[in-house]
Amino acid sequence: MTKNEENKINSYLSFKLGEETFAANVGKVLNILEMVKITKVPKAPAYMKGVINLRGTVLPLVDTRVKFGMSETEYTANTCILVLDIDMDNDTVQVGALVDSVQEVLELNDKEILPPPSIGSKYKSEFIEGMARSNDQFIMILNMDMIFSTDELAMLRDTTSEQEEQLAEESEEAEK
Amino acid sequence: MAKTILIVDDSESIREVVSFTLENEGYEVLPGIDGKDALKYLDGRSIDLIITDLHMPVMDGIGLIKEVRQMDNYQRIPILFLTTESQAAKKMEAKEAGATGWIIKPFVPAKLIAAINKVVR
Amino acid sequence: MENFKAKFVEEATEHINDLESALLLLEKNSTDKALIERVFRAMHSLKGGGAMFGFEKISEFTHHLETVYDLVRNEEMEISENMLNLTLAAVDHLKLLLNEDISESEETEQQHYKLIEDITKLISEKESKSDNNENLPESAIEKTGNQPIKTYFIHFEPSEEIFNNGTNPLYLLDELNSLGESVAIPHLNKIPELNKLNPQKCYTYWEVFLATSEDINTITDVFIFVEEECTLEIQHLSDHNLLKNDAFVAKTREIRKSGKDIGITELQNFIKTISTNTRQLQKKQTNSKTTSKAKENAISSIRVSSDKLDHLMNLVSELVTTQARLSLFAEEEGNPELVMIAENVQKLSRQLRDNAFSIVLIPIENMLTRFQRLVRDLSSELKKEVTFITEGAETELDKTIIENLADPLMHILRNSLDHGIEKASEREKHGKPRQGKIVLKAFYSGASVHIKISDDGAGIDTDRLREKAIHKGLISADIQLSKKELLDLIFIPGFSTTEKITDVSGRGVGMDVVRRKISDIRGEVEVDSTIGAGTTITIKLPLTLSIIDGLLVRITDTHYVIPLSAVDKIFAVEHNKLVNTFNNLVILEEEQVPFYYLREEFGLPENTAETEQVVVVRYEEKRIGLTVDEVVGEYQAVLKPLGKYYKEQEIISGATILGDGTIALVLDTNKAIKQFSKQNIITEEITND
Repeated sequence: MTKNEENKINSYLSFKLGEETFAANVGKVLNILEMVKITKVPKAPAYMKGVINLRGTVLPLVDTRVKFGMSETEYTANTCILVLDIDMDNDTVQVGALVDSVQEVLELNDKEILPPPSIGSKYKSEFIEGMARSNDQFIMILNMDMIFSTDELAMLRDTTSEQEEQLAEESEEAEK
Repeated sequence: MAKTILIVDDSESIREVVSFTLENEGYEVLPGIDGKDALKYLDGRSIDLIITDLHMPVMDGIGLIKEVRQMDNYQRIPILFLTTESQAAKKMEAKEAGATGWIIKPFVPAKLIAAINKVVR
Repeated sequence: MENFKAKFVEEATEHINDLESALLLLEKNSTDKALIERVFRAMHSLKGGGAMFGFEKISEFTHHLETVYDLVRNEEMEISENMLNLTLAAVDHLKLLLNEDISESEETEQQHYKLIEDITKLISEKESKSDNNENLPESAIEKTGNQPIKTYFIHFEPSEEIFNNGTNPLYLLDELNSLGESVAIPHLNKIPELNKLNPQKCYTYWEVFLATSEDINTITDVFIFVEEECTLEIQHLSDHNLLKNDAFVAKTREIRKSGKDIGITELQNFIKTISTNTRQLQKKQTNSKTTSKAKENAISSIRVSSDKLDHLMNLVSELVTTQARLSLFAEEEGNPELVMIAENVQKLSRQLRDNAFSIVLIPIENMLTRFQRLVRDLSSELKKEVTFITEGAETELDKTIIENLADPLMHILRNSLDHGIEKASEREKHGKPRQGKIVLKAFYSGASVHIKISDDGAGIDTDRLREKAIHKGLISADIQLSKKELLDLIFIPGFSTTEKITDVSGRGVGMDVVRRKISDIRGEVEVDSTIGAGTTITIKLPLTLSIIDGLLVRITDTHYVIPLSAVDKIFAVEHNKLVNTFNNLVILEEEQVPFYYLREEFGLPENTAETEQVVVVRYEEKRIGLTVDEVVGEYQAVLKPLGKYYKEQEIISGATILGDGTIALVLDTNKAIKQFSKQNIITEEITND
């Protein structure tokens, strides 16, 4: 590994999906694009938004929000497309990911990255590399390869445990 | 004037067989024991053909061919090399070095003459 | 050096293939001289090349074969069944010898010597001597000149540098002359002006007419030392000595005076017209056939590496895309001259594209020799009488597809021979002709290629299939399956109804593998069979061209491309005729055509326009309509893959980028209609419940 790459590992691009902030290692992000025309491909999984023309290549576009179990992305002036370099099945593929907005590039060293939470987190830990703190918020650093390699929509933890949590919450409310 | 052929081979028996055959055909034959030795004959005298083996000590056939092709007087002299059927790579090398043609060992006198007739008249 | 060796292996493989197919043809027509010549020539090349590139065993081996066929050529020996079998065995052995690892093995060695023994036995039966150590070109003195004298045309153009290695081209002309009688015409038109002339270079070339009783190999051998340093063309002109013909000699003088090159076709025509006498005329007609045959073979093919082809295809694709943008720009600019230029560019790029594709597509003919061989060998091994008929050998397929097809097809044929075709006596009992028939038919259908293999054998017993499936627990006893569904069972891994495991097709391990291999190349395989009558296996393959002629259409704001080869007709139809129909049929040109409302299929809202377009496409043997909003026009689509994220996607086979940068989706009509029809059946069933 070159010195340069070592440095790269510590730079992260943060972006927002809804109210939550996430970050991805800049080594995985090839490009950031503004919104362009998306051609929808019929009969595709819900999280596939369609395809876009990236300088003569047809790039598939994933709606990251849907992948994360949220509602579909609503386009605003801030909506961006991250062009990602993903390792999948011994191959490297490019894919576009829709995000609500892009924040900034954070320089984090290893000490600043905390292990992912084991309980109380909405998301399965294999998709999360770690957590970091910046500007008074917690940012989840994502394992982009894992997220964009699977077909799974269920980024979410086991629904049963989630349901239990919900039930617990509801009964608490009821008792009030 | 009789035509002169230079035969270069580190094997005495080959040199003798070739000399005998060619002298019978009316050629004058000069024997060289290796490439370097052969060069001493290339002193400006008239030589019509060089027949050389490829594997020789001191200076081998390829070396000789290359050397000869650099010499003003002998730049375009016909050169035949001796090779066995299995030396395909060497054959390519010799051709690239500038050889005119080849004779395959082992050969009978008639074959030797046929090859020579292709390049010397 | 490795490069040369690899090249030789390629060339040798071609020679061996050529040899094999010629031998198989020779079996049916054992006196065809042209075929014998072909066999001989292939062997001669193998012999020479083998020696040159370190394949001595091949050289030695083919030397013996060559001797046999030389005798045949000279009509001192006739082709016998035994000879052909032996030669075919030799061909197999040659294939082994090309693989250096195998050629060293003991087994191969033993086989090698046994074959040589058998071959030499053949020769000695005819009491002819075999030539040994044929290393050097023979001089004319050594051959007996009892052969008829023929006339050849030789074009000998030495490279400019030829003097550098001591060659004197004049000696070569002398040697040619020593083979018989010759007229040499020097051409001086390449000689530059004095101030540019380099005396160390050779600018002259010659055209020679040679009358000799020697054969073309001896003539070629004159040039053996200079093969790589000259352009050499040798053509057989006549089976007679034209130099004794006054008219011909006069013609040569004419040519010499004119100083121009000899146009070979013109010359051949001239030769035809020389003699109007009966006997000679007949002979000349066969001459022109052989010369044109020689010419055909001379219109040789060149080998191009796959990488270069791929690169070429990529460049052509990009050219087509850029040309689309140019055309669009020209239209928008409105400059008439620019529009014209853009149109020309479009025409040229279309031609270039067609040309490039024709290079990459290969006729399946090349594969067929293998199959014919298989059928021949296997049928004799199994003691069954079978004829093998092929149709559509000229059907072309992408080279990678052909490579991947060979194994599955071989397996299907094996099955047919082993389990399908019955023994002759059995067939007679059932009132069938003794000889079984297997037909391989290849043809285009819409945007696919179909390959059908049918036999008139025993067919597949669906009852037994059913029993076996129940026995294996694959289906329950009370389920009713249609014939098609039963037949489909053979594609299940491990399923085999044969009790015996034969060497030939093994344990029936094939059909599931066959299906998998075919689907790997995006194809489909189906089976149909009638017990007692025979079985037909149909393979359908997409034409995976990366640039297709398409019809650009629009649905809402997305553009789609429908492959033009699938399109039959386009109709404008009123909106209300397309909705709320019974059974989704619309009347077009007084015919009831089933159709699919694509907006609905794609989950889009209904169209509010009054008129819509129905594109009628060919699907299997039917015509099906597809509704779109608008038909934009014809379009050359450079196909770009959708990528791994859409690998489950079946109905869209790819995307293309339009001139204005937007993306159009390419519709695979076959897969789409198949999917739509399945879904509709399900929805109907649900609504019927």
